[in-house]
Amino acid sequence: MPRSLRDIDWTMLALLLFLLVAGVFTIYSASTTKIGNDYITEDFYLRQLIWIGIGLILVYLTLRISYSFFEFFILPGYLVSILLLVLVLFLPEIKGSHRWIALGPFNLQPSELAKITTMLLLSKIISKPNTGDWELLFKSFFVTIIPVVLIMLEPDLGTSLTFWVILFSLLAISDLPIYFLILILSPILSVVTSFFSIFLFIFFLIILIYILYRTRLSLIIIGLGAFFNIIIFFITPLIWNALRGYQQNRILSFIDPTRDPFGAGYQIIQSRIAIGSGGFTGKGFLLGTQKNLNFLPEHHTDFIFSVIGEELGFLGCVVLLLLLFFFLYRIACNLEKLKRKETKLITAGVLAFLTFQIFVNIAINLGIMPTTGIPLPFISYGGSSLLINMFAVGLVLKFVNEQSIFK
Amino acid sequence: MFKKYSRSRYSIGIISILFFILTIAIFNLQIIAGEKYSRIAEKNYVRLKTITPIRGEIYDNKYRPIAVNEPAINLYVELGKIIDKDRLILFISENFEITAEKIEALIHKNRFRLYQDLLLVQNIPYDQLVRVAEHMNHFPSLTLKTENIRQYLYNNHFTGYVGRINDKEHEKLQDQGYSINSMIGKTGLEKYYESQLKGKNGLEILQVDASGRSLELFKESVVKNPVNGSTLILAIDNELQAYINRIFPENRNGAIVFQDLKTGGILAYVSRPDFDPTLFAQGISATDWDKLINDPNKAMLDRVIQGTYPPASTYKLLIAALGLTDNLIDKKTKLTYCDGGMNIGNRYFKCWIKKGHGKLSVVDAIKYSCDVFFYDLSTRISLERMGEFTRQNLLLDKTGIDLIGERKGFFPDLKWYKDNYGKYVGIIGPKVNLSIGQGEILTTPLQICCFFGALGNDGVWTRPHLLAKTIKDKETIEFQPTTMRLPIAEDILALMQESLYKAVNESYGTGTASKLNNVTVYGKTGSAENHMGKITHAWFAGYTVRDEPDLAFTIFLENAGHGGSVAAPLAGKIIKYYNKIR
Repeated sequence: MPRSLRDIDWTMLALLLFLLVAGVFTIYSASTTKIGNDYITEDFYLRQLIWIGIGLILVYLTLRISYSFFEFFILPGYLVSILLLVLVLFLPEIKGSHRWIALGPFNLQPSELAKITTMLLLSKIISKPNTGDWELLFKSFFVTIIPVVLIMLEPDLGTSLTFWVILFSLLAISDLPIYFLILILSPILSVVTSFFSIFLFIFFLIILIYILYRTRLSLIIIGLGAFFNIIIFFITPLIWNALRGYQQNRILSFIDPTRDPFGAGYQIIQSRIAIGSGGFTGKGFLLGTQKNLNFLPEHHTDFIFSVIGEELGFLGCVVLLLLLFFFLYRIACNLEKLKRKETKLITAGVLAFLTFQIFVNIAINLGIMPTTGIPLPFISYGGSSLLINMFAVGLVLKFVNEQSIFK
Repeated sequence: MFKKYSRSRYSIGIISILFFILTIAIFNLQIIAGEKYSRIAEKNYVRLKTITPIRGEIYDNKYRPIAVNEPAINLYVELGKIIDKDRLILFISENFEITAEKIEALIHKNRFRLYQDLLLVQNIPYDQLVRVAEHMNHFPSLTLKTENIRQYLYNNHFTGYVGRINDKEHEKLQDQGYSINSMIGKTGLEKYYESQLKGKNGLEILQVDASGRSLELFKESVVKNPVNGSTLILAIDNELQAYINRIFPENRNGAIVFQDLKTGGILAYVSRPDFDPTLFAQGISATDWDKLINDPNKAMLDRVIQGTYPPASTYKLLIAALGLTDNLIDKKTKLTYCDGGMNIGNRYFKCWIKKGHGKLSVVDAIKYSCDVFFYDLSTRISLERMGEFTRQNLLLDKTGIDLIGERKGFFPDLKWYKDNYGKYVGIIGPKVNLSIGQGEILTTPLQICCFFGALGNDGVWTRPHLLAKTIKDKETIEFQPTTMRLPIAEDILALMQESLYKAVNESYGTGTASKLNNVTVYGKTGSAENHMGKITHAWFAGYTVRDEPDLAFTIFLENAGHGGSVAAPLAGKIIKYYNKIR
């Protein structure tokens, strides 16, 4: 079924292209080294160009193909991703974890595929009419927890957190009563406060009960919620103390890798030195000196922002942030415009995970958040995440385009 | 209920807040702290340094050195500091033993490791150092480091050697603390016990400013001490090893191995010709390499575990035990009259002695090594059973000694004969030949040694091992040997022992040349026909008893003649010497 592409959001597409081109240049610089007067460049930028080409074709196809076609593949796609996530655990390690499936010259990252399929399935579940709140909550939680557990086993904390962000943003966008969201978040806060002080917890509990009371929830639900949180508060230290020292350390390092100065801690400091030494104007394209210190090989992937910071300085960083901001702003504007429930949910999910990944990646590079291994969307080298992100953007462009047609 | 999903309007606000946080953090890092980080970056103050552990040394059973570490001066280059690449390559290739192409290739291979020292030349002689020292200042990318290099105190095949890590090994092991400059065990004990010998890398983060004060960028401790490698104490006796090397016949190839029957430890392990492993550990020259690789006598071949030969008459023990086990004969059974040979089918098979042995029972047949007795016995045994019993007595599988590259033995089956000699091959002839250990059957000297050890040790076969104990942080861990009981009944073992005793200690026995006064030697000679020459390989295998079973041994000499005249006297000398020094 041919469709008009007249009403496409050209601004958004242009911003996307800007970001991709900026990415290729940065990858080029990140994989260039200088020996004496010779410059040597690895071919990552060429491969990224190929990925971008494939990605643009994917965007075009997404715009052309009817959504009912995609809809048909949502459940099978989800199941295939789960299967791949199980499979990847049994394959040999690549770079120290079970994140990739080696396919000839390329490494496929099934968690990226699972990200989009889970999001599409969640949108379908949540947008289904006449679903009770509890049923909806239970189903969407179930759909999310499976890939999350599998990805935690790889282990890849960063990507598994992305799934929670997607779930929460979809639930937040849906008209699920606000107290559900508060109830979902409250146990996390209880666990956190249990490591600080009981007064903090009591303070938190009073606020929780007050908010729930104001939403006119039945006293039974409020009581259950409070009781559940109290149990969590008291049980957390018990579980924690039952763990052996090395187990505690392992969990702490999982949450905060900087505790290991010889691993992630060293990377973060080096990233901070690189970005900090860039100053206001930077050292100039290709002229960075810190990028070749031994905290490679994440330079062209997770730590690519540090190369921009070092070579293009504060000015470069701000330009990139503006590009990224306007791109996200554009998606947010489109989100407002969209009317159909499912398209709105999907767009919200795309916006949420892109925002999350951009924020977390840059925050890690700046050393204000623990490292978790998240690439910078559209900029970092990596086929799997680039294709999935471009497909996601393609969906948003498609929804906007089609909405105008049927207006 | 109509859902309008109106909460989406908050999204722009949330995104704005997040980007505001990022902008503040970037501002903080680049504008406020920019100068501080510029200084750190410029001087490269923050560096990660690997502290290489000291490789464990190897000693003999009386703590005398076999493989030790020696200080050596190595030349490193840091690619990121190269000013003029061509001038540097010229300087190095002119002054050190490395070609320009090699340096170029090394630089190209490591072009993405700019700030890591790259090992260029190892073990630079002192006089060479003095000559180039003053020119070194022109090349800030070059550094000299005093490090350890491996030295092996004598030629041997069991220590193996270390060498620089290759690309394949590095790719596989880089997560386990190996760098592009690492030395790694390539063969022998060095490879087998690599993980114990290596130890664990230490790490240190250097974080100092211009005046030497700590920058305190890291909260936690920034030094992780290395764990040095464990020391290996072998069962080997250096003195015995030296004696065997001294009396080993000149210009002969062969293997001599002695096993201590109480522990299973290998006391002496000699394969000749041999080579100096130090050559490999310290960078072998192209000429030395060519000489070793193209050596017609194959000095690199470890004949103890990699040389496979027909076991000749030493194999008669196994056939005799098989005949007795399957009740084909008893100790009194006398087989065909030996008149210097016998007819089987339409072929006449000769005994090794022309005048013949007459009618013999099993003990005397072993004592005199009469072939005819075994020819006759072989006609009652199937090929499959013969192969099966040989395998059960561990003469075919690897012994599992703690070394790399051990070879299996070989015993042909019917399929093998058909594949090699056609569908209608007759196997009676080959089987007759196999019964006296000639023909297609192949075993290693070590397998034979262990088999005879088990005969002497009441059927208990002990897996041979070179390692006696490891010492790690003053804690000594004894090697735990594994044993197996061979499927030979006690009364049969007694007969085997009796015949081995007679072969050495009674007149006209084949191994009398090894007879000693204060220690009882049990042994069997062998002379293996082979395609390497007209003269047979000489075997003498057996064990000694001093109150209880003491040593097992194999003396094997390629194309040296008869076991009784060539190999047996050597055994006697070595055992006598060992009893003097122990």
